[in-house]
Amino acid sequence: MFDKALGYGLVWDVTVSDTIDESQQWILSAMQKHGQGLVTMLWRILGNEQDVCDAYQSTFLHLAHCQSGQKPQHVKAYVFRTASNVAVSMLRRRLVERKGLSAAIAGRSSGKAVSSGDAVQDVFPSPANEFDSKYLQDILRCYITRLPEHLRDVITLHDLAELPYEQVGKILSISAATARVYRCKAIQLLSAWMSKER
Amino acid sequence: MTNTNVFKEPSFANRAQSPEPNKCRRIRAYLYRIVNSSLGLDTGWAQKHIANCPRCQSRIVGISKVELALSLVKSQRHDLDLLMRANAQAIGVLKHGLRQTPKAEKLKSTLPEPTLSERFSKYKHSAANVAACLAILLLMKIGIFSSMDKFQSRSQEVLKQYYARHIGQDLADEIFPA
Repeated sequence: MFDKALGYGLVWDVTVSDTIDESQQWILSAMQKHGQGLVTMLWRILGNEQDVCDAYQSTFLHLAHCQSGQKPQHVKAYVFRTASNVAVSMLRRRLVERKGLSAAIAGRSSGKAVSSGDAVQDVFPSPANEFDSKYLQDILRCYITRLPEHLRDVITLHDLAELPYEQVGKILSISAATARVYRCKAIQLLSAWMSKER
Repeated sequence: MTNTNVFKEPSFANRAQSPEPNKCRRIRAYLYRIVNSSLGLDTGWAQKHIANCPRCQSRIVGISKVELALSLVKSQRHDLDLLMRANAQAIGVLKHGLRQTPKAEKLKSTLPEPTLSERFSKYKHSAANVAACLAILLLMKIGIFSSMDKFQSRSQEVLKQYYARHIGQDLADEIFPA
């Protein structure tokens, strides 16, 4: 009797497992289809391989649990926006940590508290060479996190993920022309902020 | 209110009355040339202004800085196995049933592949050259054959006239039927 029950249990487990496989195979398909583009975008936003892997994992975890495991209508839009948001959050967290660390070091060396000046200047204090590649990249990443969400999305999708304006428009549910305008505004803001940086 | 009718196309009635359809095309090309030569950052007056305006200089420096930073970010290369590692890490947190599928195993060993356009970009110039050569050959062939036909018909006419003058029109018509 017990053996029989165990047998039925085994059959039930296999059936459930098959159902899960069948119903969530689309996650693997999405990974296969958009993985390369996502990794490229995440690498350009974060610039750190371990962070890229973490953000990628987080994106697909979100996707697997989105709408209680149901496939979203626009998978590409979902994964790209989620990945972008996750990466920007990680970048912000990293900047805050770095700022805290530099403040602590400065405080320890001077023996007094650091004044709350510009966040960027605290994170990247007085670069020796303004056109240093690493410095420019870090400063750009820092300012991208400060952009308003609608402008930041266009910059990350068009410039960092290298998607054409038409696709950016579809992902963000705006027209291609609006995406162009947002990109122009984002560049203007970034250039104004970067010009102040001396 | 801005006047939006300035660049409106002419109505069908006006178009039918227009004596020179190429005139519009010429005007369009002329306007395009004028706009291109008088606007843009490379024009003399713009360069002269930028040379003396610190605000414009700082704006241009800022935009160039952003473009430079963006191209620096894009030019950074990551390890070739990053996609593989990211896939493996992401698959590791998915459901057990999904983790053991053949597709998941394949994804864990996937390396980035260049897209079709990237793969064939090195042949772009050669393909353009071949296409240009083919186009020239085609045009030459069309030109030669059309000239040959014209030459044949003209020579037939000359011969017919010669025969008509010497042996009569009836016989010439019989030899060279229309």
